Amino acid sequence: MNVEQTTLPKKYHDAVLHWQRHNFPDYGLLPENWQKYFPSDPEFCLCAKMEIGMGETIEVGEHKGEKRRETPDQLGEEPAKHLLAIIRAQASTEFGSIQQHEGTLARAQDEEDKIWVLRVMAEELRHGYQMLHLLVSQDWSHVSGQKAEEMVEEILSMKTGSHVLDAFNVEYDSFVDNVVFAAVIDRVGKYQLSMQRVCSYRPFAASMPPMLREEAFHLAAGVVPLRRWVQRAAEGNALISMAAIQKAFNKWMPRGLEMFGHEKGGDSNVRFGFKNLRNAEAQNQYFEECGRMIADLNQRYIRARLPQLSPQEAEDLAERLIRESGRHDGISAADLLRIPDMRFFRRKGEPAFTMVGSRSETFDDVEEYTRHLAANLPDAYMHSRDMKQYVETLRQVVSGQIAVDQAIKKMPTLKRVGGACPCSRSVRWVIEEPTAAPAPGTTQPAA
Amino acid sequence: MVSAIVEQIAIRPLTELDISRVVAIDERLSGVYRPEVWERRIVYYLRRDPDSCQVAEVNGKVVGFMFADVRGGEFGLEETTGWIERFGVDPDYQGRSLGRKLFDAVVLHLKQSGATTVRTLVDQKDRDLATFLRAVGFQDAPLTALEMRLG
Repeated sequence: MNVEQTTLPKKYHDAVLHWQRHNFPDYGLLPENWQKYFPSDPEFCLCAKMEIGMGETIEVGEHKGEKRRETPDQLGEEPAKHLLAIIRAQASTEFGSIQQHEGTLARAQDEEDKIWVLRVMAEELRHGYQMLHLLVSQDWSHVSGQKAEEMVEEILSMKTGSHVLDAFNVEYDSFVDNVVFAAVIDRVGKYQLSMQRVCSYRPFAASMPPMLREEAFHLAAGVVPLRRWVQRAAEGNALISMAAIQKAFNKWMPRGLEMFGHEKGGDSNVRFGFKNLRNAEAQNQYFEECGRMIADLNQRYIRARLPQLSPQEAEDLAERLIRESGRHDGISAADLLRIPDMRFFRRKGEPAFTMVGSRSETFDDVEEYTRHLAANLPDAYMHSRDMKQYVETLRQVVSGQIAVDQAIKKMPTLKRVGGACPCSRSVRWVIEEPTAAPAPGTTQPAA
Repeated sequence: MVSAIVEQIAIRPLTELDISRVVAIDERLSGVYRPEVWERRIVYYLRRDPDSCQVAEVNGKVVGFMFADVRGGEFGLEETTGWIERFGVDPDYQGRSLGRKLFDAVVLHLKQSGATTVRTLVDQKDRDLATFLRAVGFQDAPLTALEMRLG
């Protein structure tokens, strides 16, 4: 690992810290708890990290074999526009997930789970910072039509409801969401970062390895608490149930699948050399991986209930119970977790608004489908504005009032747009300092 | 007709989805089911540097692992050291050079991370492990491991 650490010019660095004060007030708990929960780990650094020694050659696409591009204008107008949209979307997800996590962080039953999520949030802040570094360290104005300050302002003004991707516009209902989100939605993040490691734009490619190393912990901060909860559920602990975990999976899996983009898309990403997989290829791999995660959790559950079984026997039993909807030694298929159908509760992509159930059932009637959703999604989420908008839009699609394409564009419809720091309506996130020129970004080598 | 079954061997970095297989391999080797121990340990490695830990897959199934960590300044050893701390291969898959392949992948990453020496500790009763480590290049170290039981 050879990484170069960079800080943003002061006005942007301060803007991120200002954003943190309003959106991530628990940030200060991390240094207080670092030694207890992460002894011997290097301290958290709010900085951009660029991998040194990435290959110089473009790995995929129409410019494969050529030298990686160093500046946006070397990409050409259309690819630069496309990449700018990717960087903005990536930035939006990083800041958006912090806003979601913060709402239910304090509800964690276990302090360790909470501090793990807190570290995840801090690292997401660093990832957002990384994306801002990419936006402000080069001139994108020929394709953005905006100054760097305006792009940063726009990203920091987004709230749950106005982010680029749907998964970041859905509120958490409980700490189960914090953990399942890390296991399901951060997994999409891992795929995106892995695909983007090949990017023909070197600064973007060089941003990926340090983010990916941190993402490995984010996934563990989802999966390991889930494994422990499954064990507790098997022991009869009433404070967590397989049903609650299943409902949270049902809530997040559809949004995770949609984060890959339309199933027929992704050609431009590959053609421009930005990613090495098309949307459907990556989405299928992701779905298969989520299936393995759920099989692992089922194995952990069954071994807690039937410790005499070997790992393979437990895995085989879980598969058989689910396949046959069967029962064995007091365990039924209903006790286990299942991956919902890829088309379940979708509002983007090919299966958008098709009314497919979690177990592949099909529905013709909106009210019946809504009852199915109510039985398979968390209660609190069913009472949300997001669900109300979805069901109303679904009714319009089924009645023929609007086409599916129009319905897709309507989601999400919350659209809370900020624009100014909540301290004062007149203050913006990025504050110019007229007395001194912005400090240049400092660069320091790190091991 | 004789059909040849081709084994696909892959060595790759550890992920959080390998916990169950690592627990199962350890259970076969030690006879003890201890998922909590491995969950805690694997989280430690994943947050430190997932590439320092490698797993071996045969036909898509994880059958071996080697976990290492890069540290410096311990026991007066100021140089950056790659510590190999956990290693196991499913008994059904031993004798296929998987340990060697894991070792090579781990050491390559340790070198890239700046380690100048690789160190480990071996139980004196574990002659097979000592033989393996000597075969891949380990030699007796000038340090001696000492311990004292308390209570």
